[in-house]
Amino acid sequence: MSEPLLRLVSVDKFYGPIDRGVHAVQNIDMSVQRSEIIALLGSSGCGKTSTLRMIAGFEEVSRGKILLSGREVQGLPPVKRNVAMAFEGYSLYPTVTVRDNIAFALKVARLPETEVAARVGHVSQMLEITDILDRFPFSISGGQQQRASLARALVREADLHLLDEPLGQLEPQLRTLLRGRIKHYIKERGLTAILVTHDQTEANALADRIAVMEGGSLQQFASPSEIKERPANLFTGTFVGEPPMNVFPATVSAGEGRLRFDLEGGLELTYAEADFAPEVRARMLAKRDVIIGVRPYAVRRAATGAAARVIANQWLGDQSHIAASFAGKSIVLVEHDRAAVVEGQDIAVAIQPADLHVFDPASGRAISHGHVLA
Amino acid sequence: MSLQLKNVDKSFKTDKVLQDISLSVDSGETLVLFGPSGAGKTVLLRLIAGVIEPDGGEIWVNGVNMDGVEPEDRGIGMAFQNFALFPHMDAAANIAAPLTARRQSKAVMAATVASVAKLLKIDHVLHHKPKELSNGQKQRTALARALAGTPSVLLLDDPLRNVDAKLRFEMRLELPRLLKDQNATVIYVTQDYKEAMALGRRIAVMNRHGIQQLGTPEDIYLRPANIEIARLFGDPVINLLDVVPERGPEGVLVQLSDCPVKLIGHAAMIGRACTLGLRPESLHFVAEGSAGAIPVDVETETPLNEKTVTLAITLRGREIMVSRPAGADGPGSGKAWLRVDAAAALLFDRATGLRIDPAPRLESVT
Repeated sequence: MSEPLLRLVSVDKFYGPIDRGVHAVQNIDMSVQRSEIIALLGSSGCGKTSTLRMIAGFEEVSRGKILLSGREVQGLPPVKRNVAMAFEGYSLYPTVTVRDNIAFALKVARLPETEVAARVGHVSQMLEITDILDRFPFSISGGQQQRASLARALVREADLHLLDEPLGQLEPQLRTLLRGRIKHYIKERGLTAILVTHDQTEANALADRIAVMEGGSLQQFASPSEIKERPANLFTGTFVGEPPMNVFPATVSAGEGRLRFDLEGGLELTYAEADFAPEVRARMLAKRDVIIGVRPYAVRRAATGAAARVIANQWLGDQSHIAASFAGKSIVLVEHDRAAVVEGQDIAVAIQPADLHVFDPASGRAISHGHVLA
Repeated sequence: MSLQLKNVDKSFKTDKVLQDISLSVDSGETLVLFGPSGAGKTVLLRLIAGVIEPDGGEIWVNGVNMDGVEPEDRGIGMAFQNFALFPHMDAAANIAAPLTARRQSKAVMAATVASVAKLLKIDHVLHHKPKELSNGQKQRTALARALAGTPSVLLLDDPLRNVDAKLRFEMRLELPRLLKDQNATVIYVTQDYKEAMALGRRIAVMNRHGIQQLGTPEDIYLRPANIEIARLFGDPVINLLDVVPERGPEGVLVQLSDCPVKLIGHAAMIGRACTLGLRPESLHFVAEGSAGAIPVDVETETPLNEKTVTLAITLRGREIMVSRPAGADGPGSGKAWLRVDAAAALLFDRATGLRIDPAPRLESVT
């Protein structure tokens, strides 16, 4: 890999005195390559916005370094960092039109007028704001302001584009379409972007890699498919994924060439030993008590399998969500065709060993994903 | 207990909020009121609860006209999105509040609170004050309070709005059983179409001061009354393309990406300005040259959790979103071919926005 465009080295953020104040961001190390799209994902208070604000220069770094193109920037004001931003509260200039807001940085860079007009036209078409270009910020809706601010950031050339909840205020119908267009726009130009979001669909849709944060620390930093297939711990496993991953405590034992997971209520899942690599079996048997996880779309109804009784079957137009009582809790299945099962019906569910995630209940860390060690 | 609204009107000063609302909810039914903010959903709930008075029309609960009946005498329970718990009382006292007003014995009250709390999985936090409860626990406490009064009619105003995605999902699966056990007649307000489809036996779609469509989730998703409703249900949003149906050799067809696409029925719309509605999941990537397939350019592929969404562009530069189950084979990038599921295609009159019923079939008119 080449020299990363952005590096965070052991970055801490305290609100209040160092080591005594609120430890909002805890010892974060992160490298971002040129032309990557990164999402900082987490619930409110997880430290994602503080991290973005430190990169932007709006928030002081309590400890650690931030390097942009190899140069330390943590002491520099925002304007000296060559970053473009769309932030809540980093608002549009109220005295000029939306068009002039978007064009501002291009005019400062002394681009020819025709070039400015072409770029502003293109980005505003993409974000569906051509009809409000001649209006002033106070006279447009929150969702339109958000798109105008996003247009102003994306139209600029900068080393890094920082976007804070860029689509948060938009109606859901527009959001899906704009996500696709924005990703195409960023990729076509090779921009590097970091966005903050609490919406995992947005992170999945836009980002090359997702930084999952919780309690001020980085839980996992990987591609959406890696996070889906190989969640580093129980937090990431159950936080990312919709509907959430099914998890059950289990006791592992082995015998007669089989590996057996005993669940609550006398239920058991048994597999051929060969379904798990020897080192996976050894780790699980050493732990004995584990937590197993399986994604709702990997749970299948089958002719034979573990017994479950349907609690709910909810059809959402393009998929069915089925909940069934299972091992003292409930298990959720997603089916893409409209499922005909009814409440109270007994079903058998099968979980393929390849879809089984196993976690250490004490540390929460993943032990294995399918056949292999985590 | 059943509930009837007959020609209900409500204005605030000169602002008309509800106009001529008539609605009948069966005993034990869960009816969802769905619509964008400002559609008048909450006002309708407040009218039923008796907190405000209608300007015109009547509200009947179980065969009794509620005109002049005080809110506390209507036998109606409510839970709102902002919880509205008493801050100085613990969860148990909050849940018991409607019972206290009824002067029930302490033992009966305690038993009711315990059973409702167990049902909602908050029995371990009954002695916590609201500020010590998580949002999810507050929401369950508010719901428990509404259920404890064993109301014959339960009004739930977006009760899951302020809880995190995970709990919202869990509650969405649990609520139907809970409500069924209560045997209450429920009106449930939400802005989330998935919640509406999952919880409602019927959904009343509200917009522009009135009920635009009333039907089962199937009616609304598969046969939306108009373009606006089609756009409100489904994720990604339905694709809407301007077309003019033409007479083809074997029936009616429209041009899409410079290729003919057959429709079922719709002979009456030949030559008229229409909008074709194609749900993203009713479009399928197929091999090049497959019968009836249309060419597109793939712009971006977005793998989500349980599905993958593709943004594709037609030869005429129109954007089309396509979704497929996660794990199903995709087109990759560049040129691709799409098959349209004609049975799932919707046709709207462009002038009125109303959906056109496919019948009469072409065969019957030629």
